Amino acid sequence: MDSEDDMHDANDVESLEDFYSGDTAIDSDDAADGDYEFIDNDSEDEYDDFTSHRNQQNYTILSEADIRQWQENDILKISTVLSISKVEAGILLRHYNWSVSKVHDEWFADEEKVRNTVGLLERPVIEFPNAREMTCGICFEDFPSAMMSAVACGHPFCNSCWAGYLGTSINDGPGCLTLRCPDPSCAAAVGQDMINTLAREEDREKYARYFLRSYIEDNRKAKWCPAPGCDYAVDFVVGSGNYDVTCRCSHGFCWSCTEEAHRPVDCGTVCKWIMKNSAESENMNWILANSKPCPKCKRPIEKNQGCMHITCTPPCKFEFCWLCLGAWSDHGERTGGFYACNRYETAKQEGVYDESEKRREMAKNSLERYTHYYERWASNQSSRQKALQDLQLMQSVHLEKLSDIQCQPESQLKFIIEAWSQIVECRRVLKWTYAYGYYLPEHEHAKRRFFEYMQGEAEAGLERLHQCAEKELQVYLNAEGPSKEFNEFRTKLAGLTSVTRNYFENLVRALENGLADVDSHGACSRTTSSKSLGGSRSKSGRGRGTSSKSGSSSRNIDDSSHWSCEHCTFANVRSATICQMCHNRR
Amino acid sequence: MANSNLPRRIIKETQRLLSEPAPGISASPSEENMRYFNVMVLGPSQSPYEGGVFKLELFLPEEYPMAPPKLGRICLDILKDKWSPALQIRTVLLSIQALLSAPNPDDPLSENVAKHWKSNEVEAVETAKEWTRLYATGA
Ligand SMILES: [Zn+2]
Ligand SMILES: [Zn+2]
Ligand SMILES: [Zn+2]
Ligand SMILES: [Zn+2]
Ligand SMILES: [Zn+2]
Ligand SMILES: [Zn+2]
Ligand SMILES: [Zn+2]
Repeated sequence: MDSEDDMHDANDVESLEDFYSGDTAIDSDDAADGDYEFIDNDSEDEYDDFTSHRNQQNYTILSEADIRQWQENDILKISTVLSISKVEAGILLRHYNWSVSKVHDEWFADEEKVRNTVGLLERPVIEFPNAREMTCGICFEDFPSAMMSAVACGHPFCNSCWAGYLGTSINDGPGCLTLRCPDPSCAAAVGQDMINTLAREEDREKYARYFLRSYIEDNRKAKWCPAPGCDYAVDFVVGSGNYDVTCRCSHGFCWSCTEEAHRPVDCGTVCKWIMKNSAESENMNWILANSKPCPKCKRPIEKNQGCMHITCTPPCKFEFCWLCLGAWSDHGERTGGFYACNRYETAKQEGVYDESEKRREMAKNSLERYTHYYERWASNQSSRQKALQDLQLMQSVHLEKLSDIQCQPESQLKFIIEAWSQIVECRRVLKWTYAYGYYLPEHEHAKRRFFEYMQGEAEAGLERLHQCAEKELQVYLNAEGPSKEFNEFRTKLAGLTSVTRNYFENLVRALENGLADVDSHGACSRTTSSKSLGGSRSKSGRGRGTSSKSGSSSRNIDDSSHWSCEHCTFANVRSATICQMCHNRR
Repeated sequence: MANSNLPRRIIKETQRLLSEPAPGISASPSEENMRYFNVMVLGPSQSPYEGGVFKLELFLPEEYPMAPPKLGRICLDILKDKWSPALQIRTVLLSIQALLSAPNPDDPLSENVAKHWKSNEVEAVETAKEWTRLYATGA
């Protein structure tokens, strides 16, 4: 994937002309689609050498056929190296969560111990009786020995009892994958060979499904795509940085928490935010009616008991009276006893009634704060949905139409798809930064200012880009024939795409390092980057280093025909004194 | 009616339970339904339950022995995920007896035992009589 670097150079503003007129940068599939495509895992040597293959990217999408193949491959490997049967290798691998290396390590450290734990017997516990007829230990009937079976331990049961035993276990769920000999004193494992010879057909099929699914569900580095109806799984190289993955079904999600993709916000914040939203979703009135802010810590506290003695949730644990909001410790004989509080009435008589006004005010403030963030989070969410639809419509209908009207080959219109893909991605990032902002502590003034500055810049850039892609493009779509301004439009949209990408990269980077650059935020906001946001989603190991960025930044400035804007990185023509994109002075 | 088609295994188990009862354990099938057993476990000597009788009802579901016997609310691992069709009524009852010898206060069984326990002396005598009668008729 060395061509990735070429691609990013091609995306730099100053080389846009080369990018669209030339044929070297764009004709490589890798370069053209790399940003928005998932990893292609159907490549040549995957099964022979998939370990090294996987080192180059941080996840792989697996279809059912892939899963089967990978599972088979791992079983074969273990069976060969350990000189055990494939059935035994399957039992071992499942026990060690399908980790080939773990099986290796454990086995060669203490084979005896592993065999005992997993139930792989080397020799029978009892000699399989060679009497002509024997009694089954389950049904107590007598059978000729040909109608009896046993696993490695040698404990014989009749084939019909085996079928019942296996069927009962299989119909109980995936626990059947760890089934042991029916003899209560025996731990011998029952493997798929027994299932295939003794279980009923529908049970065999069920077992095979559990076995296949186990390769994902019991595997620490694989998960199913959470999109409804999607059957793909994602194999992830843990420890390779950011968790956002995009399934072949196009659903983008966080591999770690399986919520929708939420980079640069961490899983914990996302979880809190989602819970907050569902708690608030009932409606805002509910809060006013059933909860009051704790007089000490101001968090809204729900009253869920009849008694008026309220204890705020930990860590606050302040005890107060629901009626008067006074400290519960003040409620003694003086107030008429703990459970006959009359302080509310007293307060009313004394005209301290605006206490409750204050309370309403506090509730209103906490609600208003939440509403501010929620509203922006939600509108970016719906804006993203809309952009996604527009992108799909563009790909399926409009691009072809535009190509006809403007007499441009579709390959020359990829900048529009790039723009829309960038919008979709940026809406997602922006949305999550509002959850981030909500939880950013109020007292961290410097961080908050820096964050809000970066977020504001990014948001403004995105609004310009979105508007250009949405409204200005419409003109060329509705035109009768080729417009001579179309090339200018191309430059503008591509430029905005690039500028917005830079803004968001800066924002993502700043949030991912916890706003640590708060002291040098001026320098940070000017940093130019050659890495695309879309690319960083699907490529491993990229987007962490900053060394390459200064390189491309100086290249911008060195270009004698353009100057790079300090604020937004846009490459302006030499004659311009004000940035064409952000209107800041040179 | 419920007794027709009784699997050979249940018939054999019942016969053995009656002819060779385990010491301190009695299990007798109901006449109307051979899958339904009245069980009594004698409090093991030198246990807090010595001299008492633990009464319970045991039912063999249709799926028995693939599914475990049902024993009221008693919580015993072999009656759940540790059940094996190679276990029997006798082994289950012996497990309960073993639990009575070394009761664990945190075990849900103990609570059950406490509930069902007849510590009342009069009643203990009554059960002892019944116990003797059962042994006499069973033999
Ligand atoms: Zn049998
Ligand atoms: Zn065995
Ligand atoms: Zn999917
Ligand atoms: Zn997550
Ligand atoms: Zn509080
Ligand atoms: Zn009060
Ligand atoms: Zn600018």
